[in-house]
Amino acid sequence: MTSITFTLVISAIVFAVGTVGVLLRRNPLVQFMSIELMLNAVNLAFISFSGRFGTSEGQVFVLLVLTVAAAEAVVGLAIIVAMFRHRRRIDVDDIHAMQG
Amino acid sequence: MEQVILVILGMLAVGSALGVVLMPSSIYSALMLLFNLISLANLFLMLHAQFIFAAQLLIYAGAILVLFLFVVTLLNPEGEHIFRDKRKLQRAGALTLGLVLLIILAGGLIYLITGGPSFDFAPDKPGAYPYGTVEAFGAGLFTQFLLPFELTSLVLLVALIGSVVLGKRR
Repeated sequence: MTSITFTLVISAIVFAVGTVGVLLRRNPLVQFMSIELMLNAVNLAFISFSGRFGTSEGQVFVLLVLTVAAAEAVVGLAIIVAMFRHRRRIDVDDIHAMQG
Repeated sequence: MEQVILVILGMLAVGSALGVVLMPSSIYSALMLLFNLISLANLFLMLHAQFIFAAQLLIYAGAILVLFLFVVTLLNPEGEHIFRDKRKLQRAGALTLGLVLLIILAGGLIYLITGGPSFDFAPDKPGAYPYGTVEAFGAGLFTQFLLPFELTSLVLLVALIGSVVLGKRR
């Protein structure tokens, strides 16, 4: 098994695990961490293909994904903190509307 | 030797990803995420992406994870035991959908590796710098992808404004 095949398999498994985490957990913080897992799995696939083709486009894409992930983490965590300030307990099943 | 390190790193990545999902306390999940990020960074290094290795450690493990840990310790959410959860239907659905996704992804990979479109072609125009070095990465970033690179500053600015607005006390 070549290294790109192996890293692609790892990427697929980590992505699926992240999806299960989003669906299974009820705590928005852990769901957020699972989304980060999925982003990282995609980054690994990008790097694998970039190495396969020998060009750096995939790596540039990974840098852009990193930026978007940072922005997403900041805004998402701010929303979670605002939610917690509002109702002291965080569970995604309790949240029905954007305006609480 | 390289293969052995690759397999060990892959196992660590998958194991810590499972840890993120299965750990009852969210602070353990965050620490498992740190473990996962570091093993993935080392996988990037094994694939000769040196700059991304450094960026992953600095941005993800350094900045984003500290933010996560900060929020987890600030909110101190109660732990949840997913195996003792009452909502069995939800759990079964989540596991089924995850399995379906894994099968689809594995099918795509098998199609790609056996048969499928060949991806054995050489790069169209080999760059001036050897693959994976910071020089090659920077040359790609500042020539072909200059506009997306500049637009990331806009994304960061919007995130900054958004977090200030959300964090403001009403």
